[in-house]
Amino acid sequence: MMEGPATVSAPLDVSEEKLVADLLEVQGISKAYGGIQAVKDCSFSVTEGSITGLIGPNGAGKTTAFDIISGIVTPDEGSVSFEGTEVTDWMPHRVTRRGVSRTFQITRDLGDLTVLENMVVGSPTTGWRSLLGSRILQREEDRAMDLLRFVGIDRLAGTVAESLSYGQKKLLEFASVLMPEPKLIMLDEPAGGVNPALLERIMDHIRELNQSGITFLIVEHNMDVVMSLCDTIIVMAHGEVLTTGTPGIIREDDTVLDAYLGRA
Amino acid sequence: MPLLEVDNVVVGYGAGPDILTGLSLNIEEGTAYCIVGPNGAGKSTLLRCIAGFLPPRVGEVRLDGARMNGSRPDQMLAAGVCFVPQDASLFPGMTVKENLVMGGYLIDDRSLLQERLETVYETFPVLAERKSQHAGTLSGGEQQMVTLGRALMIEPRMVMIDEPSLGLAPMIADQIFEKITGFKDLGITVVLVEQNAVKGLETVDWGFVLDLGCLEFEGPADGILADPRIRDLYLGKAMTPREGA
Amino acid sequence: MQWVQLVVLGLLLGGVYAMMASGLTLLFGVMRVVNLAHAAFILLAAYLTYTLFENVAMDPMISLVVTMPLMFGLGVVLYLILFPRLEASPRYVEMTVLLTFGLALIVEGMLTFVFTGIFRSVRPVYSSTAINLGEIFMPTSQFYASTISFGLLIVLWAVLRFTKTGTAIRATMQNRSAAQIVGVNVRRVSAISFGIGMALAGAAGSLLSFMFPFFPARHWQWVAILLALIVLGGMGSIKGAVIGALLLAIASAFVTDLFGPTWSPITFYLTLFLILMLKPEGLFGAKVRL
Repeated sequence: MMEGPATVSAPLDVSEEKLVADLLEVQGISKAYGGIQAVKDCSFSVTEGSITGLIGPNGAGKTTAFDIISGIVTPDEGSVSFEGTEVTDWMPHRVTRRGVSRTFQITRDLGDLTVLENMVVGSPTTGWRSLLGSRILQREEDRAMDLLRFVGIDRLAGTVAESLSYGQKKLLEFASVLMPEPKLIMLDEPAGGVNPALLERIMDHIRELNQSGITFLIVEHNMDVVMSLCDTIIVMAHGEVLTTGTPGIIREDDTVLDAYLGRA
Repeated sequence: MPLLEVDNVVVGYGAGPDILTGLSLNIEEGTAYCIVGPNGAGKSTLLRCIAGFLPPRVGEVRLDGARMNGSRPDQMLAAGVCFVPQDASLFPGMTVKENLVMGGYLIDDRSLLQERLETVYETFPVLAERKSQHAGTLSGGEQQMVTLGRALMIEPRMVMIDEPSLGLAPMIADQIFEKITGFKDLGITVVLVEQNAVKGLETVDWGFVLDLGCLEFEGPADGILADPRIRDLYLGKAMTPREGA
Repeated sequence: MQWVQLVVLGLLLGGVYAMMASGLTLLFGVMRVVNLAHAAFILLAAYLTYTLFENVAMDPMISLVVTMPLMFGLGVVLYLILFPRLEASPRYVEMTVLLTFGLALIVEGMLTFVFTGIFRSVRPVYSSTAINLGEIFMPTSQFYASTISFGLLIVLWAVLRFTKTGTAIRATMQNRSAAQIVGVNVRRVSAISFGIGMALAGAAGSLLSFMFPFFPARHWQWVAILLALIVLGGMGSIKGAVIGALLLAIASAFVTDLFGPTWSPITFYLTLFLILMLKPEGLFGAKVRL
């Protein structure tokens, strides 16, 4: 039986939803690479407590938007605000510590660190002082183990991450995105290359975490996943937001289908 | 017998997950095909597998009935299967003419090479104009013309083109698709992968719709987009969101 | 010393450096390998030339006929044994650096074992004479060596420019996957390129044998110089390697004249450092993704 993670922000009272500002606000961001405009005057917001999907055909600018929000890329124009604070120019680790955590499309090279070490590597206490201290703080280890247990790979804690199966690496990445106690989790193609059983498991974890108050922003190509998991969907095409809506509305929207097929 | 048979092929990159998960389809000689489908369906991966860049983990690729698994790209070319990949596959430091001549690398007969070059210049007048220009300085559309012209040099039996209109303005893309239609008139079997499903299917006879590494369905090109299954595929099956979402 | 003299001396030395660097940059362009053993193989050829000179009194310039084909063959064999398996590895760059480093050590070890550490040099008649052109003097050995070097470079250029294989090599250097799809057997091209690179190293070894004294560990100095040359010229650009070599050789001639010979190596190291900081792609190179 899966248990929730040890420490998570308190559940959000639904009646308060309408009164809080959007958790994440992206306004008018533009970014060009070389001669190519990846995103252009793109604006959207993510409501606290939602599972929001970000979809769109190839080249729509979804990954660029993600990179801008998480601080990996600075936009040419526009701003990103999280919980009312502007985070546009922040470096990625600072954005993470503020409460926004993300995964990557391709599981990054985990090297010869063990699963547990991978979990604590992004710890805020890494720095000058921890040159002299012990390798892993007890409370971080406890939290990491809790999260590993949550996704079901705690027995692999001492295993070298490189030797994990693809599915296990995905679970590890999922667990490590939870370490900094994020309020917003950005997932980049969580269903990529994942078998149906594992996919169900991951979707259940997402729902569980969402129940306890974590907001999700998910880029995903697997439409079945998006339609059944997300409560709000943002559609991007050609670097801009095309439309937003619930899965039911988006699914019937001809302009969205046109965007995918090239009629737009 | 079909020209090319893809038989229950499973393919992935390096040690990564399976991208194609048991794909089967047949290509008949002289027909033009377009492969469409949502992202991650494995369309480009399929072309790369056939071209010899990616050996199948399971299953077979057969040309004229002969098993071609594990052949190198240059061997597939010698067998008449020409591949035009997605990213710039030009030699930037060479002129247009030199690029085209490289297309005829496998031709030993110099006069034949010259003949073919003339044919390409006729088919693509733009290239004749710019024959001494360095390929790296051409516009996107012109570069694509070079790759198409280069494919013509060895008079292949089959040309596979990955995203011919990628990064091109609509008008230029139309020109490219026109040229591709021209290939068909020459009797060359054409297999396209196109994001722009509308344009791609307009150009060909038959469509394959891929999803998650498998062939979902196939049929005459003009009927594909009207098929209700398309909406399900691209935008997910009609499902009510689960409780608690 | 008069500057024309210095330029001439620089050119004379630069010719041989250019040939050494061309082989190395060719290898990099085709196979994306920085061959740290290149200088060690140059030394190997030098010792081979020495052996031929001492035992059968073969003039070192004649011995090119022996060293070049031998080194070519060695290059092809070495490539086929060592590199194909590495190509698929995601750690290709790191592995080839380690591999070639190891090769250099092995070659050095073998040479030390056979020849010991005594300084050797080949001393044909012309190694101590000089040619005088008006006020300019040119050491005969360097004159012959750089003439042969330039000649070989012209042959290299012609092969790359006019032969089918040469064109295939150039194509592979510019875009390896595009070369594959037009039917180039890139593995065979890589093997041949390795052979050519080694043949050029062989020629360089034969020529250097009568220009400088050498001992087994000498190759480390040359590797550093070679790296400076190809980085300056742009890795993968043969034209750049030649120009870089000539420029640096001339520069080091001036440095030697102004500050003394011990300062001359600094020209190369300083250049290497500056180029990597300011314009890492060199004069003629494209930005390389390793």
